[in-house]
Amino acid sequence: MGASKIIFYIISTFILGTGILAVTATKIFRAAIWLLFSLIGIAALYFWMQLEFIAAVQIIVYVGGIVVLIIFSIFLTQKSGDEMPKPLQQRKLFSLFAVFFAFAFTYLLIHQYGFYSSNPQPFELKISDIGMQMLSTTEHGFILPFEVVSMLLLAAMIGCIVIAMKAKTE
Amino acid sequence: MLSLEGITNFIDEGLNATFNPTIALLCEFAIVGICAITLFATLGLVLVLMERKVAAFMQIRLGPNRVGPMGMFQTAADTLKLVMKEGLTPDGADKFLFNLAPFIVMIAAMLLLAPIAFAKGFQIWDINIGVLYISAISSISVIGILMAGWASNNKYSLLGAMRSGAQIVSYELSAGLSIITIVVLTGSIQLSDIVASQENGWWLFKGHIPVIISFIIFIIAVTAETNRAPFDLAEAESELTAGFHTEYSGMKFALFFLAEYINIFIACAIGATLFLGGWMPFHIGSWHAFNHIMDYIPSSLWFVGKTFFLIFLMMWFRWTFPRLRVDQLLNLEWKYLLPISMFNLLLVTIVAIMGWHF
Amino acid sequence: MFLKEYIKDIYNAVKSLLTGMKLTGYYFTHHKEIITEQYPENRETLNLSERFRGEVVMIHDENNEHACTGCSACELACPNGTIKIINKFEINAEGKKKKAIDTFIYHLELCTMCNLCIVACPTDTIKMAQNFEHSVYDRSLLTKKLNHSGSKIREGVE
Repeated sequence: MGASKIIFYIISTFILGTGILAVTATKIFRAAIWLLFSLIGIAALYFWMQLEFIAAVQIIVYVGGIVVLIIFSIFLTQKSGDEMPKPLQQRKLFSLFAVFFAFAFTYLLIHQYGFYSSNPQPFELKISDIGMQMLSTTEHGFILPFEVVSMLLLAAMIGCIVIAMKAKTE
Repeated sequence: MLSLEGITNFIDEGLNATFNPTIALLCEFAIVGICAITLFATLGLVLVLMERKVAAFMQIRLGPNRVGPMGMFQTAADTLKLVMKEGLTPDGADKFLFNLAPFIVMIAAMLLLAPIAFAKGFQIWDINIGVLYISAISSISVIGILMAGWASNNKYSLLGAMRSGAQIVSYELSAGLSIITIVVLTGSIQLSDIVASQENGWWLFKGHIPVIISFIIFIIAVTAETNRAPFDLAEAESELTAGFHTEYSGMKFALFFLAEYINIFIACAIGATLFLGGWMPFHIGSWHAFNHIMDYIPSSLWFVGKTFFLIFLMMWFRWTFPRLRVDQLLNLEWKYLLPISMFNLLLVTIVAIMGWHF
Repeated sequence: MFLKEYIKDIYNAVKSLLTGMKLTGYYFTHHKEIITEQYPENRETLNLSERFRGEVVMIHDENNEHACTGCSACELACPNGTIKIINKFEINAEGKKKKAIDTFIYHLELCTMCNLCIVACPTDTIKMAQNFEHSVYDRSLLTKKLNHSGSKIREGVE
């Protein structure tokens, strides 16, 4: 087992461990922090795969954006410091079922995919290529989803402004 | 001439000649780590002393002048005091997160050091996504601040943390947009490429008006992101009794304090790299004789000089302007800086496409 | 027009900020006049302002005479019991009993330098001195006797 493999297993254990802690934590703020570490671990996995661009985007979007928003909304709730009540027994059972079936489903998918051993030579990923691919109109271009997503974001932004706007008092 | 690049190459070759590559790499890791920590400690000492001296000079005072000649060892004495103090953890605090928070802030500051080019060929990690990496990692440090504020179990800390969060999240936008203007002009987000593109003049002069606007926006946004006056609402002493680090004492407080100054240094180093050419000496277009004379000044001196000039600028802001209110702070970002920087980005794109820069 | 106002706002903001920076920049580069005092070094040439109050003292002239009649107006005026006057009765040349002070006790550790005793004094016997180096290792040293030993009241002061 090479050093690279050891690092992979360390990162994976970190992701899974913090993920389990995020689910089982009794304080909601701690759960958010464990989730944060889990997401950072995934970014580390991308770094390990030498996909720096995706790793950086993962950190910006999830750590800098989503988790900060989650923490903010926790701050605004009343009982953020209190311990949460124990979940009901039935809920535990059903969540166990859900976990089991999801695991089985993913396992099946991965098993049937039949990975062929990828070519070992490292690939060079240029940022300008990503940009070109995003805006290319050829068969494998991403121009349509890119534009659709930007429309979605624009709609979300306008919605935010409408919600935040003060009604005119006359 | 003795250059830093020569020294690093010498060490690299020496280690590779004596050990096998893995051990040599580990040794280099250790050396880089020790160098980074030493740099941090010295920077903390120097910058705090500089801040106090600059503050004193601007307020017609003398500043620290008792410990050592001209008060040079004042900050060393302060550090010694902080080391000897007890690190209290308040009752009712979330102990684990409370103790973790200063380290997260510090680690984020340390990670930011990696892609900065200190001199010609003297860079820890020339990562190919340089600028993106910097904006990614700098968003981690806000987590440390939020964590500290929440875990302290103190309403002032929580308020400070929330202010800091709102501030950093909003000012990241205009900082990012002003960084993008340089990326548009350079066509690369690797820091070494950005430095290399300024060989015939710094972007601040080559890109004239739009780049000057984005430089001003960058400085304002970066001052806000490092929580410095006039944007120090997060730690406003007079309102929140130091905000998120109210409950911290001893070495944990020192880590927050150090991280603040390290962040200033890093922000200014990035500003110097993007707008003032990093380690690149002052070159003017095709004046080869002039450029050659400028090359005689070592590149590390250029880098340090530019960075400290920007740091001085930020200190100048701090000791001149009064603190903003929260609504003023958000107004400034969302109603002024963000629209201007978006418009400016368009302008820069036009300039870059038409080739109107020098 | 909105855009005109907007640009005007920015212009004014930048201008006022630059004015402030110009002033601090001027102070930074013209580092000659220092407004703070270098205390232990300039002890001889200390320049204290006229109204600075350090402690209460009693004025004695060259004959070791003061003007205190022992009326204890200052004791009554003091808001926190800093002054305590102990009187005695002397028999003067005409065989009359006359009130005079025995000890004028002044607790420096309680004094807030409010100046009320000075205002209350009908004969201007006490005044505020400008000495401020009061630190001692023993608290009892701060309790002072203001009238000098062997001093007596000046002739003609009633």
